[in-house]
Amino acid sequence: MAHVVLRNITKRFGQVVAVDNLCLEIPRGQCISLLGPSGCGKTTTLRMLAGFEDLDEGEILVGDRVISSSLKRYYLPPEKRDFGMVFQAFAVWPHLSVFDNVAFPLQIRGLGRAEIREKTTTALTYTGLLDVRDSYPNELSGGQKQRIALARSISFNPTVMLLDEPLSNLDPKMREVMRFEIKELQKRFNFTIIYVTHDQAEAMALSDRIVVMDYGAKVQQDDTPLNVYHRPANKFVFGFIGLSNFLQVEAADGGTYLAGAREAGPIGGERPPQALGATPTLACRPGEIELLRDGGVRGLIARRTLLGDIVDYRVRVGAQEVRVQRSVRQPLFEEGAACGLRFTRLHWYA
Amino acid sequence: MRSRSSWSLAVHALLLAAALVMVVPLVWIVLTAFKERNEVFSQVPQWLPGHPTFNNFLGVLDAMPFWRYYWNTIVVAFGILAIQVVTITLAAYAFARMQFWGRDVLFILLLVQLMIAPQSTVIQNYITVTRLGLLDTKLAIMAPYLASAFGTFLLRQTFKGIPRELEEAAALDGCGTLRFLLYVAIPLALPGYLAFGLVSITYHWNEFFWPLVVTETTGSRTLTLGLGIFAQTAEGSADWTMLMAMTLMVIAVPLAAFLLFQRRFINSFMQSGLGG
Amino acid sequence: MSSQSGRIGKARRRWAQTLRPYAYILPTFVFLFIFTHWPILRTFYVSFFKWNMASPTMEFVGAANYVQAWKTPLFWQVLGNNLLFAAGTVPLTLAVALALALLINQKIRGLALYRALLFYPTMIPMAAAAMIWLWILTPNYGLLNYYGKWLGLPDVHWLGHSTLALWALVLVGVWKRVGYYMVIYLAGLQVIPEHLYEAARIEGAGPWQRFWKVTFPLVSPTTFFVGVMAVIDAFQAIDQVYLMTGGGPGNATNLFIFYIYQNAFRFFDFGYGSAISAILFLILLALTLLAFRTLHRKVHYA
Repeated sequence: MAHVVLRNITKRFGQVVAVDNLCLEIPRGQCISLLGPSGCGKTTTLRMLAGFEDLDEGEILVGDRVISSSLKRYYLPPEKRDFGMVFQAFAVWPHLSVFDNVAFPLQIRGLGRAEIREKTTTALTYTGLLDVRDSYPNELSGGQKQRIALARSISFNPTVMLLDEPLSNLDPKMREVMRFEIKELQKRFNFTIIYVTHDQAEAMALSDRIVVMDYGAKVQQDDTPLNVYHRPANKFVFGFIGLSNFLQVEAADGGTYLAGAREAGPIGGERPPQALGATPTLACRPGEIELLRDGGVRGLIARRTLLGDIVDYRVRVGAQEVRVQRSVRQPLFEEGAACGLRFTRLHWYA
Repeated sequence: MRSRSSWSLAVHALLLAAALVMVVPLVWIVLTAFKERNEVFSQVPQWLPGHPTFNNFLGVLDAMPFWRYYWNTIVVAFGILAIQVVTITLAAYAFARMQFWGRDVLFILLLVQLMIAPQSTVIQNYITVTRLGLLDTKLAIMAPYLASAFGTFLLRQTFKGIPRELEEAAALDGCGTLRFLLYVAIPLALPGYLAFGLVSITYHWNEFFWPLVVTETTGSRTLTLGLGIFAQTAEGSADWTMLMAMTLMVIAVPLAAFLLFQRRFINSFMQSGLGG
Repeated sequence: MSSQSGRIGKARRRWAQTLRPYAYILPTFVFLFIFTHWPILRTFYVSFFKWNMASPTMEFVGAANYVQAWKTPLFWQVLGNNLLFAAGTVPLTLAVALALALLINQKIRGLALYRALLFYPTMIPMAAAAMIWLWILTPNYGLLNYYGKWLGLPDVHWLGHSTLALWALVLVGVWKRVGYYMVIYLAGLQVIPEHLYEAARIEGAGPWQRFWKVTFPLVSPTTFFVGVMAVIDAFQAIDQVYLMTGGGPGNATNLFIFYIYQNAFRFFDFGYGSAISAILFLILLALTLLAFRTLHRKVHYA
């Protein structure tokens, strides 16, 4: 039985269709990421779930209860939805101490003093804020402020947690720490998480399931992180997750060549599927291409950049440039040197 | 949301009620100003004038040197502003950008003017003005206001907002302090000047009490003062239509300016709040 | 040769550098001294002298003027009137201003028009407001008495009534100032980020709870500032007193500044007038300090 159901939801702002007929079913306890470029509609979807936006079409159900319905013109206000929500811009009350911040939703619900103290202390303990509970937000760091927001949203044991790019305003080290903490909290409390982000590494690290979206909240792929990475459904998903090369190819003499570079030699491996037509696109990851001294598809090193652990090469083949990445421990190629490419994994798209 | 329309209806209703309370008195006096003298003495208020007439306005011009009041008010309000611009610019720049011994103490002394109720120094200022031989002159009305703590404070904030790099670059180019002030700082601070100017002019155009204390004849009387005095005369206190006509004549220009530049006026007064 | 003139030139420049700031602040401080600092000190000084029509030269009498105030029932009446006037004006103006600001802050159509209509009284002189309301409050022909019957208001001569006259002045004061305070509250409200309200909503807070737990605390710096301004205003009220009631009926609306004006400029008693001015100054100083001491701690800065 799905916990959260989005059924044909659509939202328009004037002429722009922000969310176009989106359908999603999320089982209880799953952590699902809505991943996509800025403005694709993922935040709007989240806000519709929260109740801050109404629906032009469709319905949203939690459990078997309708909480938003455009047909019946029924909207349960956000105050009554009992969701936890963490915002991008640290929504902490500046005028309350950490303790009072976290106790806020419990006070709103009119719980007794002892119960408030107990639940707040629990939430503070799980987010590592117990020793700063009497401090004020303006004395704390960004990471701690976001923890306050987290603690506040779990203190009343919600069943659904909505997170809107919660880690974008933190520095990279803190982001890693917080990713782990959110995952731990989810394991402990077993809530359903709907997580909006444009950072694919974050989505991959946290989620049980990633929904990759394009503009209009159009679902490009809805799958496990591993599948989204290794078996991208289309060019968009391939390009959004991880680094990519998109190369034009042409067929000749029964072989496949990089367009305009027949003299460089054929690309090995399976032929592109017939269904994709005469000029499909070859997609491959810079880490899945081997660089050889002799043999392979011939080209010239146009540029070499040292990125620490990784060396990034741009190889010119005919009119196209192929990006290749190798470990710094492997032999280096000089700029201007001749080299050969061997593609170890090929993805074909229309 | 379903309740959205009933919510916005309630908001509109409340705002409309409040707006009516503000505006209806104004409308009422505008209508009264065009009525004949005796028309207003009826138990049941008649809104529209039976025979609209300009006589009241003409009567005002007859009863007093109205245009001289007008001129005096313009000289006083703009004169004060002109001199304030000089004093506050120099002082604000010094406090914003210069280091000098006693700066903090002097700044607090400056703030004292903000805390002091101007009316509580009335007696002594009257004596000072008399001793300076300025009694009953426009200069007397202007004198206490030529320095403005509020203006200095506001402008200091504005100057502080100018990036230090600009000043350093100018210094490297050989630009002295005064030149920097005149050619860079002041132009960049124009919004601050505008905000201050609007507040200052409005305040001094509308002032009643201090001009009352320091003027004795019609020679240097201002509009607002003239209105108040007229109301206390036998003629003024009996002839409501003429009194309302004069009121209208006095507020016409500030209101017209407000209608044209609403945004600017409201923003200027908003900033006076942040000035503390 | 050149190094010596260089040294003198440098010294001269350094002097100019040190003196320049003082030259810049000189005009302001000259005027401030003559018309603000000196008058305060001198007012206190003069308050210890007898100086009126009967004794045109100042005669030191110690605290006699203060004793006279203490013994004069009118002084206490004035003090009481002004306190009552402040107690009526300040909370009312602040509450209405905040309420209006909250309403204007909703995204509705026509808010610029509403804002202008509510703000315009700030642009007209208090004297004009006094004239307007004088006419409206007139018995028999005034608007208020005629339509007031529908609202259940008594049909009286407001400005001639010993208890209602002061409240009429409160009304005029609120009417005149509420637009200005509303605009300052608007500025304070707009600083509160929208997502704080959203967070409150999703955590279950209804509109009333959001107001008391989010809006009101976060707007408290503005409330503090406007409150202090309003109290100072209430003790400075003069235009409407002079023009609408002349302090009457029977001194029922005699407020501090009017009392000072009467004594200094009608009875020409500068000594006593100065003493009252000094008392007013001390009262306002005490109130401001009290406000900063007690309430400042409760003000929450975002």
